[in-house]
Amino acid sequence: MSDDRPFSPEAHTYLDGAPTGPMSETDRSDADRLLRATEAYAARVSAPGAGLTDAVMERVERRGAGRQPVWRWVFEPQPVRLRPIWAPITAALLLVLWLAVGSRGPEPTPPAVTAGVDTVFVQFRLVAPEASAVSLVGSFSEWRSDLYTMDRQDGGVWSLTLPLALGEHHYQFVVDGQRWIPDPTAHAQVDDGFGGTNSVIVVGPRGVVRS
Amino acid sequence: MEASDGSVVREVLAGDAERYRILVDRYRERFGRYAVALVGDPDLAADAVQEAFVKAYHGLATCRDPDRFGSWFFRILTNQCHDARDRARSTEDVSRLPLAASDRTDAEVDRAELAELIEHGLATLTEEQREAFVLKHVEGRTYEQIAALTGVGVDALKMRVHRARDTLRTVLGEQL
Amino acid sequence: MNAIRHLALATLLGVVVTPAWAQQPDIRATLEARGLPAELVADVTAAASDAMAQGLPADPLVDKAIEGWAKRVPAPRILAVIRQFRLQLFDARQAVQRGRGGEPLGTVVAAGAEAMGRGLTAEQVETIVRAAPRPESSAPGLRVAAALTAQGLTSDQAVEVVIDAMRRGHTDAQLLDLPSVARAMHARGLGPSQIGQQMLRGNPQGVGRGLGNRPSDVPPGLGPPPGKGNQGSSKRP
Repeated sequence: MSDDRPFSPEAHTYLDGAPTGPMSETDRSDADRLLRATEAYAARVSAPGAGLTDAVMERVERRGAGRQPVWRWVFEPQPVRLRPIWAPITAALLLVLWLAVGSRGPEPTPPAVTAGVDTVFVQFRLVAPEASAVSLVGSFSEWRSDLYTMDRQDGGVWSLTLPLALGEHHYQFVVDGQRWIPDPTAHAQVDDGFGGTNSVIVVGPRGVVRS
Repeated sequence: MEASDGSVVREVLAGDAERYRILVDRYRERFGRYAVALVGDPDLAADAVQEAFVKAYHGLATCRDPDRFGSWFFRILTNQCHDARDRARSTEDVSRLPLAASDRTDAEVDRAELAELIEHGLATLTEEQREAFVLKHVEGRTYEQIAALTGVGVDALKMRVHRARDTLRTVLGEQL
Repeated sequence: MNAIRHLALATLLGVVVTPAWAQQPDIRATLEARGLPAELVADVTAAASDAMAQGLPADPLVDKAIEGWAKRVPAPRILAVIRQFRLQLFDARQAVQRGRGGEPLGTVVAAGAEAMGRGLTAEQVETIVRAAPRPESSAPGLRVAAALTAQGLTSDQAVEVVIDAMRRGHTDAQLLDLPSVARAMHARGLGPSQIGQQMLRGNPQGVGRGLGNRPSDVPPGLGPPPGKGNQGSSKRP
């Protein structure tokens, strides 16, 4: 019964995780089914465990596995192991450990913002005369759509000015609570990874220049 | 704390065999799932991965660019996996449906069935299609990354992935 | 790093160390507060702890999950995207380490991964990291190179502009002005490669022959720090 219906180019682009034009209902639902199925399959597949490493190393080393001259161990950075440790080494190890086990990994990473304490006022504007509500949603709002509602001005121009930290910010406008649209005046549009786009601005100390 | 591939390779070649462990752990994690998906059977895949690491160790001096150990090892592993799969290939009955267990929820059964279908579907793909599809959809890499790993151009990769998807679509569709 | 080994060592030495996995309630709580369903919270938390075990920053993954959920992306897709991004983080971390030894900063790894997702190669990431005056400067450098590339410069040009600016002694904040400068030039009618060339010459106000002085909306800032000679018009570092 294999009528081989190839996916349309739009469906392939969708499956690649890139923004795309409209596609047929069948294509869309089959594409989603393929994604679900693949995800279900991928969840069952796991890499061989650490036992494999031991097996390899046993075959590879001429002496048995795991023998290591102590002098080398003392001077090299090591993953944590349960071995007798000398007092002077303890402090060094502890420091290494403490540094490596910080909160949330090596360094806390604020969302898409470089290390900078300064903030700069940045204005956002959208021409949308038919909209009844527009909000600004982005990395600076943790993608909450209820935080930054924009003010309507004459001529159907919606506007909002926010203090933003120096660095890169991703965002979109949300019109009437449903339509997500990019900012044509942003520095760039980038793939958000989900099949949509995010507008990107990079905020410098002198603010943002957009056309 | 973590050494680069190149520096570890150089240390091993200088005589410190124990350092190879770092590469084994690193690439067991990075490519392990790919190997399992390629071979189909987790135990056979583990054997293939082990063989590949041992071969890579013995042939380490022939790795021209130690900083690109990953891509070099990837090729060795892929070949080993294809061999394992060929040796193990029994009659695959693609039309066999998984038995539904009565103690699972509908959603779980559906998920398990879908996963089985993908597993069977992968068996019907060509080697290149399977490699490309697994890297793209099971490992979740971009085309550029896959190109860097396999040495195949992005356009050719896309074609392989597209064909794989079309085949799998049919396999998934046969349930209806 | 193995959490159990952490605890065992800590107990042995009688020191209180906060293992990575104890931070997970933090991630879990954040995701739950944003309304993600229990199964997705579990999967994302697992992905985050995998990342931490590999020495990768977990925040970008958590933020991406929150973004996906806010955009009503189906859970399997969110997970697939996070998995791909974790691999990019892994590759970025290696590239950052090749550029500059030692433990890479999470901000730099995250910036590197984004840059690589937008077309910069591992080698280019490495180059920027190597050229950065301080380790933390790599992050704005990478972000700006990625932004310039998205604005139409070739990635080679973008990287060159960033490295050039770093070598001229620009601060991290000044680097962040570059995309605005490029945008202003674009608004004046310059094409991407011309923009790249102008930036390398340190002459953003040379938007064309005969157009005279620097337009008022172009931020100054490109060009040599004071004392290096006259390049044509008022600049402040």
